[in-house]
Amino acid sequence: MTALHATPAGLPPRLPVRDRSTAAERVPRGLSPMLSRLAAERATGVLLRERGTLYLADGQIVHAESPAAPGLDVLLTAHGTLSADAWMDAVNQADERHGAARLLLDSGRIAPGTLELCHLGALYDAAYFALAPSSTPGRFRYGTGHWLGPVRPVPVTSLERETLRRRVLLDRIWPDHAADSAPLARADPPRPPTLTGRQQAVLALLDGVRTAPDIARALGRPTFHTLVDIRRLAAAGVLSPRPQEPAPPPLPTRSAPRPPGERPAPNDPDVALLKRVRDALEAL
Amino acid sequence: MPGIDECLLEAMQLPGARGAALVDWTSGLTLGTVGESPGGDAEASAAEAAELARLAAEHRVFAPAREPGDETEPPLEDLILSNRDSYHVLRFVWTSFDSSVFLHVWLGREEGNLALARIRLGELAGRLVLG
Repeated sequence: MTALHATPAGLPPRLPVRDRSTAAERVPRGLSPMLSRLAAERATGVLLRERGTLYLADGQIVHAESPAAPGLDVLLTAHGTLSADAWMDAVNQADERHGAARLLLDSGRIAPGTLELCHLGALYDAAYFALAPSSTPGRFRYGTGHWLGPVRPVPVTSLERETLRRRVLLDRIWPDHAADSAPLARADPPRPPTLTGRQQAVLALLDGVRTAPDIARALGRPTFHTLVDIRRLAAAGVLSPRPQEPAPPPLPTRSAPRPPGERPAPNDPDVALLKRVRDALEAL
Repeated sequence: MPGIDECLLEAMQLPGARGAALVDWTSGLTLGTVGESPGGDAEASAAEAAELARLAAEHRVFAPAREPGDETEPPLEDLILSNRDSYHVLRFVWTSFDSSVFLHVWLGREEGNLALARIRLGELAGRLVLG
């Protein structure tokens, strides 16, 4: 949007400026141009991306899945809200006309509000990872529905805005994404902060092996919600990610001198700096 | 058995109701909204209300005395704010699954009735997830 303003006599007209209010509302290009195009053509089908899958119906998101996020089944069954048998019954009986969601509601095994809350929680969570920057282009298959059936479709623009907002939220808490996918271990800060109940639940599961998605699954909690606490705990020095690189080779001894041309040790300060620069660039 | 929209529409039946929203206080996500939003922007007001709800829910000083083994989450029932022209009532929703959700109702000061709003929102929050 451009705006021309009256200027005092004798001065050249002001240059047109972009209206900031509308610029801020626009979703920047690049999150997924393909998804925006599919929304515009009101497509129905499945968008397969590197880190997750989005299901569309009439150009709206009806479901999302990602290996990094616990599924709707985990959120519903982890605390006994729904029995695993009831879930499996609905999944097995679902067909084109009656999705599993409809069957669960009709059987009275779950309140509509519960299903909507858990479904939206799972959808936004999986979509956050599905829409993460990827190294390969997405693929779209037209015309495939999802056995769950419609619950509460989400417009693509809302999903993209929310995903961007979530990225900013995490980076504001602690701008290092190393803890998002690495195995996590407890650290021992000199002055440990007071922890909330939800953070204590996360802390109790740190064993140097589990990653954030593992912890989320164990808690029956969306991974993004777990990451909020994990980044806060990382910022407070209560947890630390274990490096994902393979263990450094044993220190060279005199009997085995380092062959010429071998890569320097990973803890070389220059290498560490380069890695941080690379991570920062990738995070852009 | 209401879903999110029915629940919010019912909250709008409260005397003086200007707007109602269901918000997640960990992420700031708006799960549903009906009527007006304070400031005119539903997403911005949800993010700000979420920040307030999170602070209130996390500070021990506002929590009830704990009995051993009592792990009720969230520890609060509701949060009430008043200003010159309106009331805000934030009702935490207790769920059997892991969640961090609250109902936010904005009431005009003239017709708004805080006691009634507290009772109704408590009932609504229960029915939303228990059926």
